[in-house]
Amino acid sequence: MKFKKVLALGLVGAMTLSLAACGKSSSGSNNAGTGSSDETNASGETISLVLWGAEEDQTLLTELVEKFEATYSDQKFDIQIGVESESTAKDTILTDIEAAADVFAFSSDQINDLYAAGALADIESMESALTTYAGKTFDDVKNANGAGAVEAASIDDKLYAFPMVGGNGYYLIYDSSVLSEEDVASWDSLLAAADTAGKKVGMTLASGWYSAGFFYGAGFSTSLSDDGKQTVCDFNGTSADGYTGVQVTQGMLDIAGNNAFMAIADGDGSNQLASGQLCALVTGTWDTANGKNIWGEENFAATKLPTFTCNGEQVQMGSVDSYKFIGVNAYSENVGWATLLAEFLTNEESQAERYAQRSLIPTNTAVASSEDVASDVTVAAIAAQSDYAVAQFVTGNYWDPMKTFGEMIAQGTLSADDEAGIQDALDTMVEGVTAISE
Amino acid sequence: MASKKKKSAGQAIGGFFKAIGGFFAEFGKAVAKGDFFTKLSLIWMGAGYARRKQYIKAIIMTVLEAAVIWFTVAFSTRYVPKFGTLGTVKAEMIFDPVTMKNIMNDYDHSFKILLYSLICFVVWFTFFIIWIKNVTNAYKLQLKAQNGEHINTFIEDVKTYKDEKFHITLLTLPVLGIVIFTVIPILLLILVAFTNYDQNHMPPTELFTWVGFDNFARLFGGGGLSSTFGYTFVRVLGWTLVWAFFSTLTTYIGGILLSLLINNRRTKLPKLWRTLFVVTIAVPQFVSLLLVRNFFANGGIVNTFCEAIGLTGWLNDIGLISTSYIPFLSAPGWAHVMIIIINIWIGVPYQMLIATGVLMNLPADQIESARIDGAKPRQIFAKITMPYMLFITGPTLVTDFVKNINNFNVIYLLTEGVYTTTNQALANSQAKEVDLLVTWLFRLTQDYYNYKMASVIGIMVFIICSVFTLVAFNRMIKGDREETFQ
Repeated sequence: MKFKKVLALGLVGAMTLSLAACGKSSSGSNNAGTGSSDETNASGETISLVLWGAEEDQTLLTELVEKFEATYSDQKFDIQIGVESESTAKDTILTDIEAAADVFAFSSDQINDLYAAGALADIESMESALTTYAGKTFDDVKNANGAGAVEAASIDDKLYAFPMVGGNGYYLIYDSSVLSEEDVASWDSLLAAADTAGKKVGMTLASGWYSAGFFYGAGFSTSLSDDGKQTVCDFNGTSADGYTGVQVTQGMLDIAGNNAFMAIADGDGSNQLASGQLCALVTGTWDTANGKNIWGEENFAATKLPTFTCNGEQVQMGSVDSYKFIGVNAYSENVGWATLLAEFLTNEESQAERYAQRSLIPTNTAVASSEDVASDVTVAAIAAQSDYAVAQFVTGNYWDPMKTFGEMIAQGTLSADDEAGIQDALDTMVEGVTAISE
Repeated sequence: MASKKKKSAGQAIGGFFKAIGGFFAEFGKAVAKGDFFTKLSLIWMGAGYARRKQYIKAIIMTVLEAAVIWFTVAFSTRYVPKFGTLGTVKAEMIFDPVTMKNIMNDYDHSFKILLYSLICFVVWFTFFIIWIKNVTNAYKLQLKAQNGEHINTFIEDVKTYKDEKFHITLLTLPVLGIVIFTVIPILLLILVAFTNYDQNHMPPTELFTWVGFDNFARLFGGGGLSSTFGYTFVRVLGWTLVWAFFSTLTTYIGGILLSLLINNRRTKLPKLWRTLFVVTIAVPQFVSLLLVRNFFANGGIVNTFCEAIGLTGWLNDIGLISTSYIPFLSAPGWAHVMIIIINIWIGVPYQMLIATGVLMNLPADQIESARIDGAKPRQIFAKITMPYMLFITGPTLVTDFVKNINNFNVIYLLTEGVYTTTNQALANSQAKEVDLLVTWLFRLTQDYYNYKMASVIGIMVFIICSVFTLVAFNRMIKGDREETFQ
């Protein structure tokens, strides 16, 4: 029942046939969303569920699902596991919510759009099921996971997804044979040391995810309006810490204008790392293996982000707290069992298993404090940065204007001396960011 | 044949309406002059056939009528009555811990209502035509019976579809395909343009409804939409037309020159060269364009090469670029030119094949006599080859232009993820300098779920393309140019 597909056909397909090849067909599912379902749950009924997870997680998910079926052996299950990357889950789900999986993994930045479209089940309303079968309350779930993860997974203090993986944000990785611990404390010393070594420091500026770190660090914030249709953004004003947006932009321009700085296109970090020109890069866990390959296991180091110069002072860069969640489809036919499965996949044992197999950092505090995890070099960097990380709540309109603003800084379209010009650009950017989404 | 084609557009439209008038006139006559069974056909569609002993046809028509009535009662009544509002009941759910399921109310799904109602309208319209045709047929049979003419048996009727009515047999499947895969989606697209179907009104959770011409007003600056939408539309449309013009022109000329070159007597191994160029067609564009995109990336192989030979430094010195790389695909201007140049390489082989075909069929007598008269090769090219070429390939030139307006592949594959605009006004409307209307529309639907504005843009593209095609074809076929070459 791919109704939107039909529309898409009209919109684009009717004009360009070749496009059909791009279309990603979501795998079929058996939840019919028609009308009221008044059938009762006979004890012998087989519960059919579809679960979407990342390609790399498939083996792990298969094992966890087997465990889930064993745990609830009184109930017959038919659980299908499909491949859907966490980063694109939203696009696929919103194409046709009723045909999407019952349980799905997604990145924390998608929670607003999924919630707004009504795709996320109100899992807290199913507390009785959780208590009956898993012997837990939602307070237990909230207490078991880190506060930041729970905040990011909640809307109006109500949990809408189960936190699964933490530390999905960014920090600084560097080559300790080139840079010392003192060097990486501030952008100024970092860039100076890199310049001396003839190497470069890379960061993505053309992205509202990375470049917002400068603003958050200086005390600016983004949030959602009460109706959730608008982003509230004060980047063009004065922050809680007394810095102006112009001053932050000037700080960014100083960094971008440095010879040793390399502005990296979004998603191109790994390639640039491989080219060997970089001695430091602002990135996340996904480049850990890469960095170890290029710089050598013993030289690979990670730490919190450096400070940057803003209005003559050193300001600690902020970052965006990012997680991976497991959500439940509001239109799932077996929404109760779907919630239990989602809970099972994110409980302490599953998170420990996930770390063991995939090195993905747990949100569960018990697992995170275990010896293995705590000694991980990236985990230490994430923990150090987490004091300055904020949960980013924005609408879809946030990304393009911020991307363009970052690109203007990267290309040097703006000049640090031209305060009026910077203010203008900030105003235009905020106008775009705060536009009502439709 | 030529004289038949030379109808003007006005006559064609007039003829169309005359045909419709004739269709209904025939129906009126059948109802007025028909006997009891012909009139009964109005209610029972098989009546006329049953009376003339065409029982199989009578059964078919009766079954069809019953099917449509059943379809109307069982299916249409669930959607069509809500078509005026597109639904009023929002989805609500309450969790039932006993069954472990959500109890849903009987909620309305605006998109289903829109789509299924449209399908109902198409079915009813088709049925209406069949119904009228059926009555006129019944009257024709009645006349035949009165005049004592032979009335076909079912087998004989079927046979006519193999002989004199063979064109109907042939056309049924394509027409059905066009209706299902083109007409219904386009009608749906047009309908969506008049609703508020966007991110805040996404079924099944939310409902959307009719908003009249609001979206069109917004496109041209009115309404509360982001203030730059109108500006962006004009900019994107401008580049779309520039791109379509230059990409069509360059590949066309390039293709002709290339085929002339290859067909030249002095060119050795023409078949080898032709094959080599055709290879670019054989490699999927996905592969070749993404490769080219990587070649010309800011840190790509071409940039490394240019830096090594000092070209980048030289361009920096003369002030053409301010970056440490050449922004082949990442700065306005540069990207625009590069896209058109890369498209030449993609598009020329097609034109070369067409041109080769035409050149092989050049009127040899004309060229021979021109040569005897002492015309130089250049004169022959300008006076005979090129006019002939233009005449033959004119229609493909028009379709190429329209195709290029919607050339999604080249633009999207070359610029997506590489090009970041620094124009804030465009960014606020989710567009870039290198976007065509179709790629902008794709992003609006795919990333921003703004189906209503995407539909409006889709309609605009449709209007632009169809007006251009009509005017261009009309001009091209007009006059006696066809005879010039006969």
